[in-house]
Amino acid sequence: MVGDFSVGKTSLTQKFVNNVFSDKYLTTIGVKIDTAIVADTKLIVWDVAGRDSLSPINASYLVGAAGVVLVCDGSRASTVSDLLDIWNTVTERIGVVPAVVALNKADLPEWNISDEMYAAFDKQSWDVFPTSAKEGDNVKEMFEKLVNKLSSQVV
Amino acid sequence: MNNTVDVIVQQKINEQLFQKLELAYFCVDHSMRVKDASDNLIDYGYEPIRPGSDIEDHIDFMIGLDSHTELDLPIVASPSGIPISVSLLPSENQLTVLIVNASTQADQRQLLQQKANENELLVFQQKKLMVQLEQASLELEKKNMQLEEASRLQTSFLSGVSHEFRTPLTSIIGYTNLVKQDLQKVSQELVPRIVGNDDSPNYLRAVQRSSKHLLSLVENLLDHGKLDSNEIVIRPKATNILEVFEDVELLLKPLSNTKQVELRANIDLPPKALAVLDDSRLRQCLINLVGNAVKFTDIGSVTLDASLTGEVLHVTVEDTGPGISQQDLEKIRLPFWQGSDTGKAGTGLGLTITERLVELMGGELLIKSELGKGTVVEFELPAPLVYLDEPANSLEGIPVKPLRILLAEDDTDIADLVCMMLIERGIEVDRVENGALAVEALKKGRYDLVLMDIHMPIMTGYDALAELNARGDTTPVVVMSASAVDADKAKAIELGCRGYLVKPVDVDDIIGMAGQVLS
Repeated sequence: MVGDFSVGKTSLTQKFVNNVFSDKYLTTIGVKIDTAIVADTKLIVWDVAGRDSLSPINASYLVGAAGVVLVCDGSRASTVSDLLDIWNTVTERIGVVPAVVALNKADLPEWNISDEMYAAFDKQSWDVFPTSAKEGDNVKEMFEKLVNKLSSQVV
Repeated sequence: MNNTVDVIVQQKINEQLFQKLELAYFCVDHSMRVKDASDNLIDYGYEPIRPGSDIEDHIDFMIGLDSHTELDLPIVASPSGIPISVSLLPSENQLTVLIVNASTQADQRQLLQQKANENELLVFQQKKLMVQLEQASLELEKKNMQLEEASRLQTSFLSGVSHEFRTPLTSIIGYTNLVKQDLQKVSQELVPRIVGNDDSPNYLRAVQRSSKHLLSLVENLLDHGKLDSNEIVIRPKATNILEVFEDVELLLKPLSNTKQVELRANIDLPPKALAVLDDSRLRQCLINLVGNAVKFTDIGSVTLDASLTGEVLHVTVEDTGPGISQQDLEKIRLPFWQGSDTGKAGTGLGLTITERLVELMGGELLIKSELGKGTVVEFELPAPLVYLDEPANSLEGIPVKPLRILLAEDDTDIADLVCMMLIERGIEVDRVENGALAVEALKKGRYDLVLMDIHMPIMTGYDALAELNARGDTTPVVVMSASAVDADKAKAIELGCRGYLVKPVDVDDIIGMAGQVLS
C-alpha cells in the first residue's frame, strides 16, 4: 500500500482486513504488516508509511512485493498526480509489478478526479477504483482485483 | 589466561548488548529453513520457532524476501505491537536476521511526523477554505449585483408607473378644481345635483377624493421602492413645525368630519419655532399616521399630540379604534400587509414607509395597541432649533408685475390647465410643446420664469437646460415634472434649474415656487 500521507492506506487495509474504520488520523511510522485470505490466496499487506514533502517512501519496504496498491485521496488533487512519481519509485526498486489504484475518500463531496488524471491512469493500464474506506465502497473489489492480477501475473 | 578473560568479557558485553537492545534473531539457510532462533522472539509476539521449519510459516515479513539480499527495515510493527528494526544479513551459508526494539525511534518519529502531517493537512484545509471563501465572496458579489440590478429595475419600474399615473392625475385633479370653482360661481339652485349640497350626491368631491387617493397610492409605491433601494434622502431645513402640524390637522379634518370621529390636536409648539427638519417627510409621516387612525376608527376620537422638549419633538397619535391584536402587531410593519378589514385597505405601505422615514430622520416608531382598546403610535425626532428669516412663499414684494412665464409642456391637457390657472391669477403665459421651442422662444422674448417639463419630444427639458446654459441665458427655470425620483431632480438641479415641482401641482405651488425663485 503506497501513496502520500493521509490518503487512507491504513484505513483501506483495516477496512479490508478487520472491517473497521476510524475517523481519527494516526500517521503510520515504518510499515505495518497484515494478513488476509482472498480466494485461497494468502495476502500479506505491507502498509507503508506515506510519502510527505520531507521524506520519500523508504524503498526498502518495497522489496519482495508481488504487487502494489497505489492509494490517493480524491479530494486532494496533489495526491492523485503524485501517484505517477510514487509509481516511478516502485518500478526503480522492484520493477513493474501488478498494480491497482484506489481513488480513496469517494464519500467526500469535494472528491473530484480530473479527466487528465483518468487519461494518465489509462495510459498505465491500471485498474482504477473509486474507494471509500469509510463506507467500504470498492475496497473488497480492489483487493480482489489485485489478487486476481497476481494470480494470473498480468502486469 | 588472557584469552579466558577476553572470552568472559566478550560474553558479558554480548549479554549486556542483547539485553539493552532486546536483540532477537533467527538464522535460515538459503531455502528459508530455520537453523537457529533466539527464545526472546516471543517477546515481539512471534511463536516459538523450531529449527528445520519454514520461516515463512512463522514470520510474515519474511514472505517474498530473498535470502541473498542484505536489507534493513528500520521500523516494522511486530505482532506484539512493539516497533522493531529488522536487518537481513546474508552470508554464504545462511541468512541471519537481527531484530531489535525500535520503540524509542518509532515514538519520536511518530510524534514529529504526526505533527508535521497534521500541519500540512491544516495548511491544505486553509487553502481550500480560502478558495471556497473567495468563491463564496464572488458569488455573493454577483448575487449582490443581481439584487442591485433587480432593485434598480424595480425603482425604475415604479418611477415609470408613477410618472405615467401622475400625468393624467394632474389633469384630473386640476380640471376637477377648475370645474368646481366655475360651478361655485353659478347659483347652486340651478345645478344642485352637480355642485352638491348636504342632501345631494357630490359627484365632484367623489372624483377629487378618488383622484387624491390614487395619487397617494402611487406616491406610496414610489416611496417604498426608493426606501428599498436607499434612494430617499432626508433634506432637513429650517421648518416652522407648528405650521406642519396645523396643515395636517386642516388636511385631515374633512376626513374625520365624514365619520363620527373627532380629530383633536393638542399642539404645544411655539408659534415661531423653526426647527431643522425635513418638513415634507415629517408631514408625510403625520398624514400617514393620523390618516390611518381616522381611517380605522369608526367612532370616537383621534388625538394628535405634539410637543417640544429642548430640541426633541415628541409626537403621539392616539385613537379609540378597534385596536390591533398581538399577532397582527408583529405583521403591521411588513410591507404590503393588509388588515382583515379589506374595505379599508390601501397599499399596505403607509406604516412601513412611515417607520423607515422616522428612522431616517433619527427617531423610532413605537406602537402600542390592544384589541378593543385603541392604538397609540408615538415617535421622537431630533429637532435642532434655528432662527432664520422665513422664506418667501408668495409673490408679495416681487416688483415685476404682471409676471411673464414661458411654459414648456408637451401634454396639451396639462398645458391648458396650467395656462388657465396662471392666467386666472393675472400671470401672462406663453406656451410651447418642447425644449427646442422653449429655447427659440427665449431667444426672441424675455420671460421672468420658465416652467419646464422634462420628458418632452424633440428636445427634453434636460437638453433645453443644457442649451440655455451654453447660451448663457440666465432666465430662471423651474422644472415641473411627473418624476418624483431624486436622481431626476438632482440632474435638473445640476443643470441649473432653480426649482423642482412634482406633478400634480396647483397654482399655489407654482406661485409659491416662483416667489421663492424670483425673490
